[in-house]
Amino acid sequence: MTAFVASVVEAFSELRIHKTRVLLALLGVMLSVAALTSVVALGTMAQAGLVQSSERTSGRAATLGASVYSATGAVDTGSTLAAYDDVVERYRIGYSSVRLDTSLSIRGPAGVVAAPTTIIERDYGVMRRLDVVDGSWFTEVDEQRLAPAVVVNEAFHRLVGSPDLRSAPGLTIEAETPVSATIVGVLADDYAEAQPQAFLLRGQAEQWDLGQDQGIPPALELWVPEEIADALTARVQGDLASQLGAEAQVYRQDYAAQGDPYAVVTLGIGGIAGLVLVLGAVGLLNISMVTVKYRVREIGIRRSFGATSGRIFFGVMTESVVATFVAGVAGVMLSVAVIKHPRVESFIAQGVTDLPPFPVGAALIGIAAATAVGALAGLIPALVAVRVKVIDAIRY
Amino acid sequence: MRHRTGPPAASDGAPLVSLRGVTRTVRILDAEDLHVLRGIDLDIHRGDRVAIVGRSGSGKSTLLNLLGLLDVPTEGGLFFEGADARRLGADERARLRGSAVGFVFQQFNLLPGRTALDNVMTPLLYAGGRQFWRREKLAAAMLERVGLGSRLRELPQKLSGGEQQRVAIARALVRGPRLILADEPTGALDLDTGAAVMDLLDDVARETGAALVTITHDVSVAARSQDLYRLDAGVLSRQVVPA
Repeated sequence: MTAFVASVVEAFSELRIHKTRVLLALLGVMLSVAALTSVVALGTMAQAGLVQSSERTSGRAATLGASVYSATGAVDTGSTLAAYDDVVERYRIGYSSVRLDTSLSIRGPAGVVAAPTTIIERDYGVMRRLDVVDGSWFTEVDEQRLAPAVVVNEAFHRLVGSPDLRSAPGLTIEAETPVSATIVGVLADDYAEAQPQAFLLRGQAEQWDLGQDQGIPPALELWVPEEIADALTARVQGDLASQLGAEAQVYRQDYAAQGDPYAVVTLGIGGIAGLVLVLGAVGLLNISMVTVKYRVREIGIRRSFGATSGRIFFGVMTESVVATFVAGVAGVMLSVAVIKHPRVESFIAQGVTDLPPFPVGAALIGIAAATAVGALAGLIPALVAVRVKVIDAIRY
Repeated sequence: MRHRTGPPAASDGAPLVSLRGVTRTVRILDAEDLHVLRGIDLDIHRGDRVAIVGRSGSGKSTLLNLLGLLDVPTEGGLFFEGADARRLGADERARLRGSAVGFVFQQFNLLPGRTALDNVMTPLLYAGGRQFWRREKLAAAMLERVGLGSRLRELPQKLSGGEQQRVAIARALVRGPRLILADEPTGALDLDTGAAVMDLLDDVARETGAALVTITHDVSVAARSQDLYRLDAGVLSRQVVPA
């Protein structure tokens, strides 16, 4: 115990004595770690952004898409929806939504416009990671409204004059009997030139007979655990086909259906991070080797006063590891400061509504890498230090 | 293998260090082996004052390295407090050296950038238990003993040659060694300062009962010893101590 404490005391003393050299050596390590952590963090955050974007487009892993069709004619919409409900109930699917892409004629300040409208159920918001920029996604209360609730995107919101949602703005859906609806939420546009888009709850669409007469068959989306996705695909397909006497198509539609599409990105980030780390390690090793040469005489003197080779080895290693650990922490802090800077963050956040936080994994990788570099860069000088011949070293 | 680590009893008469037929040979590439020491027999007891003189290259420093367990003989026996040094591993020799031997070098060999106190504390980093935990107090007391109580925080470069050598002496003695090995301790000092340093070494060695082995070219330093040896081409012979 005393020997261990003494070694640590010795290492800290050495760091204190050689603080200028140590600081210069560690500046390189700190910048390398900051670069490494930033690359990993940026990569991870960008990847998370891509995943979010993919999830909004095609659902989270694993999302099964089901649809039915008949070679002899249209399948009855009511029967199809009933069959979908049976599937959801039979397999106790936690998150599911019918999806019917249609078009509604909306009367706004600029007159009547045909707005692409998607009829869905409440779960759809969670399944597609839809985040509102104003108001809220559909809630249970919205299903009980006396007038249909509508969630629109920013382009639609602008189209109807950007009304304040706190005033429960209404709009009129043209039908046989015009229906007054209320905008309850505004979604961010997926891209800059996005077309106006509205969402309507299935129950309210059925109640007011909106958008269901255009001959487009409804689809069903199921968010299920990935491990049962394949088995469930076959079962649901068989059930729908036999129940409706039509052809059923069920398939995984999420971004991860064909494996991780971002594996190449991950590999690329890993390669760059590894290269940055190697450059930092080589720089530190170079300085460490020069330092040991410079300290040969000192090592000899210490050995003459009873320092064992183990103590010399441990001392040189501890100095290196302690110093690089501190440099690693400083590098990670620098990286966090850069990545979380509002300007940098807004650059990363382009098109991402739910910006991921600074990845803890990247910070841990940075600190672990710094410590590993310290151990590796300390190992060779420590071995050199142990091999120093005391007699020659004192006369050095 | 166990070896005695405590001071030998004054009455047992056993030598502190004993060399029997010691030879040290250095291999030289593409040349004949160099016999640095040949058939050395020497006993050093606690309290002895031994001086070794000889021309440059006669093997004095090699002999000092053997006595201080920094090296082992090529042939012959080297016994430190009864333990056969050739049978001890490098780390065992290092631990024994740390606890029993104090070195004073010609060029002081103080660690640069460390204060006098830090330098004297250095050997205590390799000591166990109380000596380690009380290192600052022990080092300060030893610097006080060598007359540098007011210069504890001075860096070596701010001290005179004599003061630096006194720091080196404090460092050599701080762990209470049984054997003090001084390699030309006055070689880098003027006559008066050298004499003062030797007075100090003699005094502290007498106080602690440690043996003092001095390698020197200086006749006045050699004259302080009880036993005087001359090394000539690796052969050790006893001399009469000059009056």
